[in-house]
Amino acid sequence: MADTASTAGAGGSGTRSGSKQSTNPADNYYLARRRTLQVVVSSLLTEAGFESAEKASVETLTEMLQSYISEIGRSAKSYCEHTARTQPTLSDIVVTLVEMGFNVDTLPAYAKRSQRMVITAPPVTNQPVTPKALTAGQNRPHPPHIPSHFPEFPDPHTYIKTPTYREPVSDYQVLREKAASQRRDVERALTRFMAKTGETQSLFKDDISTFPLIAARPFTIPYLTALLPSELEMQQMEETDSSEQDEQPDMENLALHISTDESGAEKENTSVLHQNPSLAGSRNGEETVIDNPYLRPVKKPKIRRKK
Amino acid sequence: MSPTGSEPPRMNRKKGDKGFESPRPYKLTHQVVCINNINFQRKSVVGFVELTVFPTVTNLNRIKLNSKQCRIYRVRVNDLEAAFIYNDPTLEVCHSESKQRNLNYFSNAYAAAVSAVDPDAGNGELCIKVPSELWKHVDELKVLKIHINFSLDQPKGGLHFVVPSVEGSMAERGAHVFSCGYQNSTRFWFPCVDSYSELCTWKLEFTVDAAMVAVSSGDLVETVYTHDMRKKTFHYMLSIPTAASNISLAIGPFEILVDPYMHEVTHFCLPQLLPLLKHTTSYLHEVFEFYEEILTCRYPYSCFKTVFIDEAYVEVAAYASMSIFSTNLLHSAMIIDETPLTRRCLAQALAQQFFGCFISRMSWSDEWVLKGISGYIYGLWMKKTFGVNEYRHWIKEELDKIVAYELKTGGVLLHPIFGGGKEKDNPASHLHFSIKHPHTLSWEYYTMFQCKAHLVMRLIENRISMEFMLQVFNKLLSLASTASSQKFQSHMWSQMLVSTSGFLKSISNVSGKDIQPLIKQWVDQSGVVKFYGSFAFNRKRNVLELEIKQDYTSPGTQKYVGPLKVTVQELDGSFNHTLQIEENSLKHDIPCHSKSRRNKKKKIPLLNGEEADMDLSAMDADSPLLWIRIDPDMAVLRKVEFEQADFMWQYQLRYERDVVAQQESILALEKFPTPASRLALTDILEQEQCFYRVRMAACFCLAKIANSMVSTWTGPPAMKSLFTRMFCCKTCPNIVRTNNFLSFQSYFLQKTMPVAMALLRDVHNLCPKEVLTFVLDLIKYNDNRKNKFSDNYYRAEMIDALANSVTPAVSVNNEVRTLDNLNPDVRLILEEITRFLNMEKLLPSYRHTITVSCLRAIRVLQKNGHVPSDPALFKSYAEYGHFVDIRIAALEAVVDYTKVDRSYEELQWLLNMIQNDPVPYVRHKILNMLTKNPPFTKNTESPLCNEALVDQLWKLMNSGTSHDWRLRCGAVDLYFTLFGLSRPSCLPLPELGLVLNLKEKKAVLNPTIIPEAVSGSQEASSNPGSHIHLAGFQNPFSSSQDEEEVDMDTVHDSQAFISHHLSMLERPSTPGLPKFRPASARSALLPPRAPGFEGTPTPTLKPPWALDLARKGAGKEQVPLEMSAHPATAAPLSALSKESPSKHSEHHHHHHHEHRRKKKKHKHKHKHKHKHDSREKGKEPFAFSSPASGRSVRSPSLSD
Repeated sequence: MADTASTAGAGGSGTRSGSKQSTNPADNYYLARRRTLQVVVSSLLTEAGFESAEKASVETLTEMLQSYISEIGRSAKSYCEHTARTQPTLSDIVVTLVEMGFNVDTLPAYAKRSQRMVITAPPVTNQPVTPKALTAGQNRPHPPHIPSHFPEFPDPHTYIKTPTYREPVSDYQVLREKAASQRRDVERALTRFMAKTGETQSLFKDDISTFPLIAARPFTIPYLTALLPSELEMQQMEETDSSEQDEQPDMENLALHISTDESGAEKENTSVLHQNPSLAGSRNGEETVIDNPYLRPVKKPKIRRKK
Repeated sequence: MSPTGSEPPRMNRKKGDKGFESPRPYKLTHQVVCINNINFQRKSVVGFVELTVFPTVTNLNRIKLNSKQCRIYRVRVNDLEAAFIYNDPTLEVCHSESKQRNLNYFSNAYAAAVSAVDPDAGNGELCIKVPSELWKHVDELKVLKIHINFSLDQPKGGLHFVVPSVEGSMAERGAHVFSCGYQNSTRFWFPCVDSYSELCTWKLEFTVDAAMVAVSSGDLVETVYTHDMRKKTFHYMLSIPTAASNISLAIGPFEILVDPYMHEVTHFCLPQLLPLLKHTTSYLHEVFEFYEEILTCRYPYSCFKTVFIDEAYVEVAAYASMSIFSTNLLHSAMIIDETPLTRRCLAQALAQQFFGCFISRMSWSDEWVLKGISGYIYGLWMKKTFGVNEYRHWIKEELDKIVAYELKTGGVLLHPIFGGGKEKDNPASHLHFSIKHPHTLSWEYYTMFQCKAHLVMRLIENRISMEFMLQVFNKLLSLASTASSQKFQSHMWSQMLVSTSGFLKSISNVSGKDIQPLIKQWVDQSGVVKFYGSFAFNRKRNVLELEIKQDYTSPGTQKYVGPLKVTVQELDGSFNHTLQIEENSLKHDIPCHSKSRRNKKKKIPLLNGEEADMDLSAMDADSPLLWIRIDPDMAVLRKVEFEQADFMWQYQLRYERDVVAQQESILALEKFPTPASRLALTDILEQEQCFYRVRMAACFCLAKIANSMVSTWTGPPAMKSLFTRMFCCKTCPNIVRTNNFLSFQSYFLQKTMPVAMALLRDVHNLCPKEVLTFVLDLIKYNDNRKNKFSDNYYRAEMIDALANSVTPAVSVNNEVRTLDNLNPDVRLILEEITRFLNMEKLLPSYRHTITVSCLRAIRVLQKNGHVPSDPALFKSYAEYGHFVDIRIAALEAVVDYTKVDRSYEELQWLLNMIQNDPVPYVRHKILNMLTKNPPFTKNTESPLCNEALVDQLWKLMNSGTSHDWRLRCGAVDLYFTLFGLSRPSCLPLPELGLVLNLKEKKAVLNPTIIPEAVSGSQEASSNPGSHIHLAGFQNPFSSSQDEEEVDMDTVHDSQAFISHHLSMLERPSTPGLPKFRPASARSALLPPRAPGFEGTPTPTLKPPWALDLARKGAGKEQVPLEMSAHPATAAPLSALSKESPSKHSEHHHHHHHEHRRKKKKHKHKHKHKHKHDSREKGKEPFAFSSPASGRSVRSPSLSD
């Protein structure tokens, strides 16, 4: 809160310096808003049981309130723009409030408190002429905590939703089809993009755009990409997401051949390494005891060994 | 060695000799190798060696050692300066003045050159004179310590530096260096006795950057920092007597992994690869256990190291207590295909630790025993690990390979015996190379040699049983380990060497059996057996009349006499018969056991005791024979062509349980495209108990059969419904299931079936549209997200399938291939290839299998005329910096392009790469591929075949590849393929050459000769060390070398020349000649062993570098200089040649001497040769690093 107050102070001083040229209509709006805020502060003070307040303290509180509200606005705008919108939504405000350390859950209760004071509507010089719109249905009345001078609810058809349900695509064939073409499209778009932005080679002399091949570029350490292919990294990442799925029960071929032998051996290894923590543990324990000449510390040169 | 007293060393050991007679007049007992500086930036090495040697003869005055490439600064014997000569005839095999271009001549000269430095004959490139002060010492047979300071600069062979050009320190860049080579190649990186039969103990020291690790043979005793703490010295001791050829070294910023199961085993890999290393080596302990168990012998060394390095020379190289592997063998748990291959490599390396490293060989002709035993026990490991089916399949594969090779080239001889004087009856006259030395062998021959060796071991096992076999091995090992523990009795060490006779004696002692006939047939004789079999059933006698013919007249065949097993499957069961194959008996009557009785429905007993229900309706009603097999156990190295009816092959395929029989029947069924064959194959394909490799073979056979019966084929394309049933979704049969490779058999089948299907052709000889769509759908719906394994090999095979579906384009008048007239099917294929190839750039696959397949597919499209033929793409992928598999695939395409388009430019590009590529394996591989797929052959006319190419290739094998035996032999192979044994036909008539040789004046006129006519003074300076001799080295050589009398004058001419050369550059060389005289005359007067040596050894340490550089420049400038001198050359030259013939240094080739004697007048020809050298030098930095150049700097004339 102290933070916002200080920034508000700075902002306030900025605006105040601007208020010197009071002929500006923007400044008039500013002053009007300021007046309203003063009323709000005063009524809040009254609500809190104060009978009178010094002008300076009211001014300070007004300043604080103003900067607090400005901050909510600024921040909500950022959140809204962050999600590529121009109009803030309720969730933007909520996120902002949460961000500012405000417990949003308490807000409805606060709004509905009994002893609250209602500020009268600001005097409107000339009511804007609202064009008569075609009314459809009954407009909802204001709930009790909303002052009556606030705008009316719009026509129900503008906000009432009628949920419709469409069966999600669960047909296996379609899904596979979709996944395949999606991946293919992404891959093609990506490779084309890469080809467009970089050097290419072509199989046809007369046409370099139909089958653009990204030019071969040698690596400084070619074996690293070959042995640690990024493809596998990706797959490993995905694999950790989709946990073990050994749904294939047709593993009945435990017969003669190489592969079973091998997979067996492999499993043994992995099981020894992974599923046997006791052994791994004992190995770790032993690690300090392992006497391997390559693990021994390097000796300091002997003095007598002269170079 | 037991002191042989004054008996001169004998070079030819006779068979049956009891012990080992060293070819050397001394015994090496201990050697120290100390490399105290390794510079990765300059790729140089500085160090010394110290050999402890005991003379075995009293008059020992010369010690011959092996050394190549090393620059030798000084040699001291027991702290006394010793003179030495360096002479390596293999640097340039034939002197270039010779216009001989026939391979016969070269091969003989090359064999002679290799012999001249062969350590097994007691020879060597480096000849050290024992200082006269020590002669008395020697007469008492007291110890000599030979201390040699040497350096190595930019080695082209023996040691390979890998220095990636990125930012950072050498360790951060992953720079490393390792020893490599083919057979005994240790001489390339330090002076030694580079023989497998000279064993000694070792002390090895390597001082390397503190961030690096030096891995070498033996036990790491300690690691000590240098005083500035920036470097570390690794001290290794190898107390088991070991041949220098088995010593190796690898230095790099390795990650270290101590084997969790065996703490004395340490694994090393390059940075970032540790997780792969962990997985790859996690299996090794089982291999250890296996070998130790079957050999009932512990692993002989106290430690074992595996090092995985980049740019490997070979995938597996075994050295004493360590093995060097290609880093590309490393893989993660997600890779299926590489796993068995890598494990095989590990097992192979370990087998060679026992036989090859610990037990070494007496001579080259005993090599087959070591290769045989290590290959054989490796086979046993295969049988245990991968099962009997895999083992038998492998044996069959190896047998087919050796049979095909021998029939093609005319025989592989395991145990060549070279009669003393009878040089003429060369045991391998059918070959274009000598088999007398490992270093003259074609690489392919050597591979086949190893293959045959282990097959023969298996034959011996068949004869004496495996139990005895293992006992023999155990005996060899225990003898060796007893001998190895005799630390101070070096004469015992020869027990660690295996010889053919010793091995055979062990066999007869252990088994009590006489295997002489077997040895005679397969070991002492080359060739395989070729059987043709056919039969008739004699119903009346109920006898099977079997006719077995042999072809023993074709090259590579031999006659077989002896037992031959025949298995006959009858209705009543399977019966083995042993026929005696004799000289003139072709027909064999085999009584049948069963009457034909088809009505009785009964199970039919098989060989393995199983009983099978068979549908016998296909059988011949009169015959009880189901199928017949000749030599089912592969107990003869043979090829069998057997004729039996199609239904018999089908029965054999369905019911014979032996995988080899199944494969044979699959091969035979290709010739019987009938519905019955189709059914038999389909059934096999579906049968899950069947060995997966048989099922894979069945796929391809089915495709062939389908193509043969295309007009009568009914139903969907072959295998399509099968594949759909096995691998596609139940509900939507056009979509393949998401990948799940848990069952490896299914995985291999799933990979193979589409590849085979794509070979199907319709009546128009096009791939059916249905099949192409099917393959494209497989690619489209391929989904590996839920798979535990990588699908990169699977996807690569799908691309192979696409390539297989391509058929030649219909071309109208050779129109240019453009995008517009692209076949729509091909467009789809190209679309996929483009996408795959591009995706590889963003998400590369393991070992870039997909790129490799894409490149191959593109070449197929080019070759079939769909895409314009253009090598540019392949050339860019072939550049250094791509992964080696990609490079090889791209180079293969370029080689193919060179052949198809007869492109001279591409051929030149390839030849250039052969000479200059940084990776020895790639150089070797290009030669290999060019030989396999030659742009033209000796029998075909080609515009590519011209004189320049002949000269180029000749130069390549003559001098350009002297740093790598394998490469040189590869060049010889290529030369043979292109031009044959005799003079290439594209050369001008040889008469012209003769004229050139005889008439000096005319020679000047000849354009090819002119550039070589230069002054004699330059030759010596630029000659890469073939005949720089030292002052005071006039002790007569052994009588055989009398011809090579040293000519001191020329030597000093050359040395003086070096000193004067820099200042003389601008001047024509001939006028300068007189100035040399005084210097040379003076130095000739110097007493033997120049006294100046002892006082001033150190100042010379630096000059060689400087001088070397200076001369590099000089070498370049020389050419224009000589050119300008030409017009005026004729006269001064003839004057010179008259003046100096006697001074001219002699050459090392006997034939050359003869040649010289005949034409004494034409001494100047030698100058041509040297001139030639000097010109080459500008291109070949190697020539400058020859030790001789370093040596010459220390010449007395300089120290004056």
